[in-house]
Amino acid sequence: MKLAAVDYVILAVYFGFVIGIGWTLRKRMSTSGDFLLSGRSIPVWITSLAFIAANLGAQELIGMAASGAKYGIMTAHFYWVGAIPAIVFMGIFMMPFYYGSKARSVPEYLKLRFDEKTRGFNALTFAVMTVFSSGISMYALGLLLHLVLGWDFNMSVLASAAIVLAYTYLGGLTSAIYNEVLQFFLIVAGFAPLAILACDRAGGWKGIVSRLPANMTHSWHYMGNASQNPMGVEVFSMVAGLGFVLSFGYWCTNFLVVQRAMAAENMSAARRTPLIGAIPKMFLPFIVILPGIAAVALAHMTSASGAALYELPTKIVDGSVVKDYDQVLTTLMARFYPAGLLGVGLTGLMASFMSGMAGNVTAFNTVFTYDIYQSYIKKDAPDSHYLTVGKMTTVVGVLLSIGAAYVAQRYNNIMDLLQLVFGFVNAPLFGTFLLGMFWKRSTGHGAFFGLVSGTSAAFATWALTVAEGKGGIFGNLYTFPSTMAQNFWVAIMAFVTCVVVTTVVSMATTPRPDREMEGLVYGLTKIRHDEGVVWYRRPTTLAVVVLVLVVILNIWFA
Amino acid sequence: MLDLRVPSGLFFLILGVIVLAVGLFQPDLRAPLTDVNVNLYSGLSMVAFGGFLLLLARISVKK
Repeated sequence: MKLAAVDYVILAVYFGFVIGIGWTLRKRMSTSGDFLLSGRSIPVWITSLAFIAANLGAQELIGMAASGAKYGIMTAHFYWVGAIPAIVFMGIFMMPFYYGSKARSVPEYLKLRFDEKTRGFNALTFAVMTVFSSGISMYALGLLLHLVLGWDFNMSVLASAAIVLAYTYLGGLTSAIYNEVLQFFLIVAGFAPLAILACDRAGGWKGIVSRLPANMTHSWHYMGNASQNPMGVEVFSMVAGLGFVLSFGYWCTNFLVVQRAMAAENMSAARRTPLIGAIPKMFLPFIVILPGIAAVALAHMTSASGAALYELPTKIVDGSVVKDYDQVLTTLMARFYPAGLLGVGLTGLMASFMSGMAGNVTAFNTVFTYDIYQSYIKKDAPDSHYLTVGKMTTVVGVLLSIGAAYVAQRYNNIMDLLQLVFGFVNAPLFGTFLLGMFWKRSTGHGAFFGLVSGTSAAFATWALTVAEGKGGIFGNLYTFPSTMAQNFWVAIMAFVTCVVVTTVVSMATTPRPDREMEGLVYGLTKIRHDEGVVWYRRPTTLAVVVLVLVVILNIWFA
Repeated sequence: MLDLRVPSGLFFLILGVIVLAVGLFQPDLRAPLTDVNVNLYSGLSMVAFGGFLLLLARISVKK
């Protein structure tokens, strides 16, 4: 793929705007709250789009097109099952506690509700995780730009990190959120034409259905038996593992996304943020997954001269040729985009990378400054001190991410291992929050030991089962049809263990007095039901609309 | 407070004008699998979107 001068101009214009937004906002950064929390003052349409964009990193874009080509429309489960229900739950039931408790971060909520050790555990694992996930996505981007455009790996990694640093350092969370909105628009502008062109060329959805095996164009029909669908999962582990444990764990407890909603201007706006964001979110599969599915259909089609319209990209692993699905998105761009639109598409890819990385960096600096530095290193400094620490942490966060990108480049196995470990740590989290928010009897000791034993259960499940040659280091009690099925079951086991242990330990330890938990637990908190608000702006109305829409989508593509 | 609709509107206006210009001055530019002038159409839609955002910002200032 070769870029023309105009494509570089588009890229340059975009970089100019991104830094310009940071520059304009720099004067508003006078307290640590302005810098790290946006002073809780951002309009709801902006927080909603940022809520979605912070999660829409380059890895997500590349990975969704890849999964579309590999698994077909079943990939949409990551949205219609694995995101929307959790997002709705978060807005309706959990946001009142996050926003109403005046906690500045998710770990701080754990401190208020439970105790110091639960917060410490969550803050530390979260801080390490954000740094590595932004490093991994930086690595993925650098590799792709090198592969597709021949750009130098070092140059692309360092330049993109420098731009993210510039605008997050200047304008803090506000700048990150504002840019995420611009990035969201750009991602749509850059990839919607690809979906339309590829789908049209493949003969529309009908043409795609006629050329693909039936289990790639039906999302539910072949879920009864793991051996019949390309993902190798059956309906229970999909709904319980992905749809419940993993997605609720991510969308309801991950500070990276929760932070966007917490920056909203008032409680009602904070609750509506995830709900409004859910609407574009549920239609994203048509932009990010559909091109991958269309690519498979195109690979079955030939032009007048008899040549295939498109060939799925390949790579060589251990001497044999295998499909390289990660290149589907960029190779499709090269086939469908002329100079001009190609620049927009590439800028969209860069934008997605930046929104993902800035999301990680701004969550990292908040958790580090408030939950680690202010809690364990220096407690009672004036606010200006924490503002400086926040800014320094932004620089350090970016540097650590760059370091992580190089670790990923040199030791691929370490990164796989780390992602595995993070999976173990994350899997039980939702259990802790669920009990913490809705059962006032649950205690700090219960929460902590629940988390630790849930994490251990996740590890044990993985170590005693095998899937595609993965896991089973302590023996093999069961063989899963796919690693995805294994992941889902690891999460289910972790969640169940966490809930059981938290409950048992809580019953055996002294409960906290009710008055200490006002605003933190359901039943002890007055949740305002927005009486003064017009009915169509109420969170519950929005939630019903979102759920009806997502049910229709699920049935439509069943 | 900065009204985000202004910079995003300007951004898409500029982007749209650039892409539109390519569509107008190089109308025969095609990628291997496209047979329409996609730059023209996507440029037009980006100009329209940018203009729409700027219009919204204008209206809210007048209020």
